[in-house]
Amino acid sequence: MQSEKKKTLLEKYEIPISHLDFAYVETCKNAREMEKIVHILRSGEEGYFPDLLRCSEEKLKLLKPDSKLFRYEENIKKSDILDKKELKPILDWTQDIKTKDSALNELKNEKQSLDLPSIRKLGKIELDKPSPEPAKPTPAASSQPAKAKESRIKSTDYSKWDKYDPDEEILRMDLDEERSKEEADLKISIKDKPATKKELKDEKQAMYERLQTQLKRLSQLEREQFADKHRLRGNEYFKAKEYDSAIEEYNCAILYDPENAARSYNNRAISYMKQSNYVAAIMDCEACLQLEPENIKARLRLADANYARGKRRESYYLYQRVLELDPENASAKQSLKNLNSQLGELAPASATRLMIEELKPDADAGKPKEKTEVKPPADKQTTVVKKVPPPVAKKPTLAKKPTVADAPPVKEYDLAELVKPNRVVNSKLVSAAQALGNKFQAPQGNSPKKPVQSNLPSNEAMPAMFRMPQDNLNTSNKLLIQEI
Amino acid sequence: MDKPQLIEHLHESLNYTVYDTKWVPLSAKFVVLGAKANGHGIMDIYELNKDKLEKVKSVEKKVAFKCGTFGAASLRNRHMAIGDFEGRLQVLDLEQPDLPVYNVKAHSAIINTIDAIGGTQIDCGAPEIVTGSRDGAVKVWDIRQGQAPVVDMSPPPQMGDGVNSARRDCWAVAFGNAYNAEERIVAAGYDNGDLKIFDLRSLSVRWEATMKNGICGLEFDRRDIPMNKLAVTTLEGGLLVFDMRTQHPTKGFSYVEERNAGRSVGTNGVISGPKATVWVVRHLPQNRDLFLTGGGTGSIRLWDYEYPDKRVIDDADGNRLGVAGTMHMVSAATLSSQPVHCFDWHPDKLGLAICGAFDQSVRVLITTKLNTY
Repeated sequence: MQSEKKKTLLEKYEIPISHLDFAYVETCKNAREMEKIVHILRSGEEGYFPDLLRCSEEKLKLLKPDSKLFRYEENIKKSDILDKKELKPILDWTQDIKTKDSALNELKNEKQSLDLPSIRKLGKIELDKPSPEPAKPTPAASSQPAKAKESRIKSTDYSKWDKYDPDEEILRMDLDEERSKEEADLKISIKDKPATKKELKDEKQAMYERLQTQLKRLSQLEREQFADKHRLRGNEYFKAKEYDSAIEEYNCAILYDPENAARSYNNRAISYMKQSNYVAAIMDCEACLQLEPENIKARLRLADANYARGKRRESYYLYQRVLELDPENASAKQSLKNLNSQLGELAPASATRLMIEELKPDADAGKPKEKTEVKPPADKQTTVVKKVPPPVAKKPTLAKKPTVADAPPVKEYDLAELVKPNRVVNSKLVSAAQALGNKFQAPQGNSPKKPVQSNLPSNEAMPAMFRMPQDNLNTSNKLLIQEI
Repeated sequence: MDKPQLIEHLHESLNYTVYDTKWVPLSAKFVVLGAKANGHGIMDIYELNKDKLEKVKSVEKKVAFKCGTFGAASLRNRHMAIGDFEGRLQVLDLEQPDLPVYNVKAHSAIINTIDAIGGTQIDCGAPEIVTGSRDGAVKVWDIRQGQAPVVDMSPPPQMGDGVNSARRDCWAVAFGNAYNAEERIVAAGYDNGDLKIFDLRSLSVRWEATMKNGICGLEFDRRDIPMNKLAVTTLEGGLLVFDMRTQHPTKGFSYVEERNAGRSVGTNGVISGPKATVWVVRHLPQNRDLFLTGGGTGSIRLWDYEYPDKRVIDDADGNRLGVAGTMHMVSAATLSSQPVHCFDWHPDKLGLAICGAFDQSVRVLITTKLNTY
């Protein structure tokens, strides 16, 4: 098979024949060597060992799954291997494109008056004549030896050596180097001078305006085509994780063809989400849903965006809306499951958290009052123990009227847990709760006096649920809470 | 199998040599350009009709056609720019091909390659055509201009007239970077492996490099965006993809290279046989990171480019240096015993393509599952 002169692969790769062995292949860790072994075995130069080959191929697949040796090529298949089903889109498409084609042919007779950019000024780029940039180094290089000759000081010329300042020379060399680097930089920066943000914005604005005027002269068919092109380009940018450019392209796509822009809105939404711009994402999802109310992806993204914004309650319903359309949607199911596990701790939309604050001794001469606000919301209750200096009456509580109707069975409240960080002595709790109960009823009438501090509107961050040890709870207290 | 498969949908044998094939935008028609045995040029227009090909029109001219493009044509007129064996550039209306819309003696020798831009995009500059010829010149044309090129990139006259001289032969040209009305780049590849990047805005040579072998094919992944990638194919099987985002002051653009991309990989991944040219590279219009190469052994290969985690790094001197990604071969198939030298993806239908080979035939191909990338 191989001639005398030609080296066998075994010799070429310098692999000992003993390595073509199950035991060695098993232990080999070197992907490159494995590739060589597979190559030798496949070549058949050392004989035909199907089992060993299979074994080493498997090993190579483990070591280097994208090895070039796994590339293969076959003769092209005829279209009869495709199902009718797979070919049908192509046949349908031919019909579809033919109608577009003939529509375009009709358009051809219409005069189109797009303002095309003007003709470029005639120019010439010299090919082999040294262009100005490469020209610079040449004279510099030729002049440098001359200068060096002049400035060279003979070793015996002591008077000159006395005047010689090495620091100055070093500085000069540094400067030279700096200059050449600057020139190189300049060469590039001329080409891509970064425009300021404002300039860019103005330019973009101008471009959009120009597009608007041009668009009026295009037929719907052309607009569709252009819009689609921009959308696809946006997708490419999205894949390359360049979300700003992707959004630009989607903007154009929407501008060109606002009526069929559902997909562009949808894709722009996901780009915004990648940039954590959830408000814009939500708006785009809604725009998409307005065009295509049944769009599952848009619904899902809307829910995701709401969730990411911290609106878990809304997202819960939105995920359910996804399942209405697609009951098998794994992503929505998973999110709902997560939400459900959190929902136990989740406050309703109407709930407000109350802060527990330590009373400042000098705030009020009188006895510190302990007030507890019990916010009884839909499915969980936010109980807040609060010691407040009376004068700081801030917000009327009436606004947050408990909605008892749909309140689930009251849970136990562990006030101890809440209290600890606020250094309220455990033993005082019962009385505190009692006092609280009394106070609570009173303010129902004259709410404005009630000093409630609701400076933490988002109560999702901290689960506000209390669990009071049974022995600490007297029945009256419990009842009170239940009533609320 | 969940990877893309290349499938031959239709096959048409012809009685002339095919030099170029192009889809007519927004239609089921394609144009085949070629040379008959008697040296006459021929242009056939075929239409896909259910599962058959139908010849719609056939035009014969005195001079053989070499290359053509629809890039500078608007969707309404769809005029085709064609370069021929005698250096003439003409723009034809496919409805009335006898009378050219524009006709100029562009070069003193055969026009090897043509590319055009500006037809189907708005706000991306004027429609222009670039031609590369055996006379060593690369010229940019605007059909509104008349008989002179708007930009001329010719070697100096002392190098001869281009017929019998030391001038380099330009084999490939490509437009790129046309993301606004001013910016525009032409890349040109020559038979000695020179790659030149011309900046049409500043009328200068932006970058030069030399490949190991003559450059047969060039294409920017997109013409009308800020330069992103440039694919280069050469003789002896070289396939290089340059990352065009970042130009280093001394090192230029970084690239990833694949040798032997023109040879057949065989059924078991072992490359055998002589080195073969990679004739053509074409990016998928719907996904710029997938591209197809046609090789000298009659095989086509589909590649996937993967970007690196960071596309730009700072080198020791604080200069920005681009980082090339990686290429994976997605799929490969042997079509013919002769080189596959022209290929065109349909601009509007994902996976549909037309390709021509030197076995005097054209094939309509379908590639499945491209949407999974």
